[in-house]
Amino acid sequence: MKMKKGLLDILKGKFLVSGDAPKNWLFLLFASFLAAMMISSSHQADRKVHEIAELNEEVRALRSEFVETRRDLQQLKLESSLKNTIAVKGLKPSINPPQKIIVKTAE
Amino acid sequence: MNRLYLVAGGLLVFAIAVVAKLVDIQMVKGVEYKELAMQKTERMFTIQPNRGNIYADDGSLLAASVAKYEIRFDANTVTKKDWDKNIGSLCDSLAVLFDKPSSHYRQMLRKARVNKNGYKLIARNVEYLEYARMRKFPLFKYGPNKGGFMETHRVVREYPLGKMAARSIGYERIDDQGHFTRVGLDGAFGAAYLRGNEGKRLKQKSAGSQWKPVGFDNIIEPQDGRDIITTINTNIQDIAHHALLKQLEYYKADHGSVVVMETKTGEVKAISNLGRTEEGKYYEKLNYAVGESHEPGSTFKLMSLVAALEDKVIDTSAIIDTEKGRWRIYDRTVRDTKWGGYGKISMAKAFALSSNIAFAKMIHENYKENPEKYVNRLMNMGLHKNLELPIVGEGNPVLRYPGDKGWSGISLAWMSHGYEVAMTPMQTLTFYNAIANDGEMVKPRFIKQARVGNKVLKEFKKEVINPSICSKETVRKVQRLLKDVVEKDYGTGHRLYSKSFSMAGKTGTCQKNYVAKDPDKLAYISSFAGYFPADNPQYSCIVVIHEPDKSVGYYGADVSGPVFKSLAEKIYITSPVVDEVVPENPKAELIEKSYKSFYAHAQKQYQVVPNLKGMSGMDAIAILENLGIQVELQGNGKVKKQSVSEGTNIKEVKKIVLQLS
Repeated sequence: MKMKKGLLDILKGKFLVSGDAPKNWLFLLFASFLAAMMISSSHQADRKVHEIAELNEEVRALRSEFVETRRDLQQLKLESSLKNTIAVKGLKPSINPPQKIIVKTAE
Repeated sequence: MNRLYLVAGGLLVFAIAVVAKLVDIQMVKGVEYKELAMQKTERMFTIQPNRGNIYADDGSLLAASVAKYEIRFDANTVTKKDWDKNIGSLCDSLAVLFDKPSSHYRQMLRKARVNKNGYKLIARNVEYLEYARMRKFPLFKYGPNKGGFMETHRVVREYPLGKMAARSIGYERIDDQGHFTRVGLDGAFGAAYLRGNEGKRLKQKSAGSQWKPVGFDNIIEPQDGRDIITTINTNIQDIAHHALLKQLEYYKADHGSVVVMETKTGEVKAISNLGRTEEGKYYEKLNYAVGESHEPGSTFKLMSLVAALEDKVIDTSAIIDTEKGRWRIYDRTVRDTKWGGYGKISMAKAFALSSNIAFAKMIHENYKENPEKYVNRLMNMGLHKNLELPIVGEGNPVLRYPGDKGWSGISLAWMSHGYEVAMTPMQTLTFYNAIANDGEMVKPRFIKQARVGNKVLKEFKKEVINPSICSKETVRKVQRLLKDVVEKDYGTGHRLYSKSFSMAGKTGTCQKNYVAKDPDKLAYISSFAGYFPADNPQYSCIVVIHEPDKSVGYYGADVSGPVFKSLAEKIYITSPVVDEVVPENPKAELIEKSYKSFYAHAQKQYQVVPNLKGMSGMDAIAILENLGIQVELQGNGKVKKQSVSEGTNIKEVKKIVLQLS
């Protein structure tokens, strides 16, 4: 009987208007604040996940870009390919080593 | 009443059955079902780490993992308006990028649209930069939902040097059964450095097909593979590769290899292995230099000579009778290449001429009573052991001991000039390098460092196999002889001689497939091993070419020598010739004096035009122009007359005319 009465009171919303209502209100506020916190932090975590995925994607793209650019440069730099490129202009690799003259002063 | 009991009983049985099933589902099959439920909503994801890069000694890339894209097109999502507006320009852009006619793409995309194809393949193996361009193409730039642009990618290993050194840079593959195929350095250092560690992450199914990470447990961050810095030098590799290719093509040889090693440190600067395809093209087929143990032929005479000199059974000045180019031992004949033979020659000359008879006789006569001594000496120099190279599949040398299967009365004579023994090119090179390095045998090295970013994780140091394989005296003698092979006009390597740079080495022309005694099958192995410059060597090098076309040529000096020479030449050309001059300082008092007077003028902060008379024209210009005045000169020599007189305020002067004499 007592339980039935309690249930009815809750349904009627008595705890919101009765004498010690402010205490209950405070608790309700606190509970809704907690709920809001939870929702926002979960959203933030979701956003982080997306951010990380995006950054990973960017890292992969940059890495690929680096390797591809580097490869093209390396192939251009190779003597064997350079030789063919400059041959058109009538240039060819030297057959003499570079001379380096170091001038020293007497003192 | 009875009927009531019947119903109640029936209900009871039904209830018991329900309970039993519940227990069965919960307890017996429960584990299985729970797992199934978890699988639908939660899953453990494996995150693959990025494989480490392989670098050359100058920081050039040799191998790196990159993403390759597959581009598909969803023809259904695009609206009619977007389609009509963009399809023409999209096809043009695709045509430019992939070098195909625009009409090809127009037809393809139209067909996809008509057939409502939601997954039409546009291109495979698209590189990142191309992919980035495609993303900006008309229509595609609207993304997957409006533009129908779809991409998937996979990670592949990219080799910036292309096919060069492919077998030595290598790769690592794993099959369905978890068996690894490990080739070259990528394979050898995969487990230790390159692979990295897999990451694990628990994820929960969220909206759509997205998986979102959950919980803070079960997180293992993937650890990317470490990079390795090899000793390969891209320039030397480039030269080695192309020089070898040229010779193989000219001589239509079956396969060949070249290795360049830094004398002091054992760092392998270049390694090239090329094999012939049925169409007569060449590619990095197998790592012959590391894996192929073969009879070395005449390059082994160096080992025999070092052994004999160490045992003091002969000296380089000893005279040997090579007879008429034929020497019978038991039922076999040792031959020299020159018809009629070399007659009586010194051991030194026999080495330069590469006389088989001289070596067969010398070793046979001196060791026949005690063949163990000769073999022991070779073993002391480490010739029976492999080098324990990191690359998988190193060939084992063959060095028979008296009494072993295959040993016979002629073994000594045959071993003396490189038959009945086998070594890989790497092993032969290691020995030659030891001679170049004054007797210190250094282990060939392929990698220098393992790194994480710029942080050095492990340094690989020089490893000495044997600090002294023979006495200094012997080293000096054979160094001289190796130089003679190229320098002396009778040397087998004299065709390679160059006035401007020095080389030392030994030719080898070895018969192969001789057992069949069929002249058609008989083939040759042409080799050249040595080092350069001859004095104070920087690099040692071996070139081995198998089965050159006999009608074109087969001598070591002709077939393999040029590869060696082009490397020596390139190193010579790229190393500057340094000359130091100490000039006599002539006493130039006059210059000194006039400079001092100019310096004094130049340091002054003039407010008015100075007296320039008597000053040289050059100095006057410098001073006036620094004051912001335009100068006009007339004549040569010293200032005789100035158009603006001394003491005029500079601010009023724009131009001065100076008359010189």
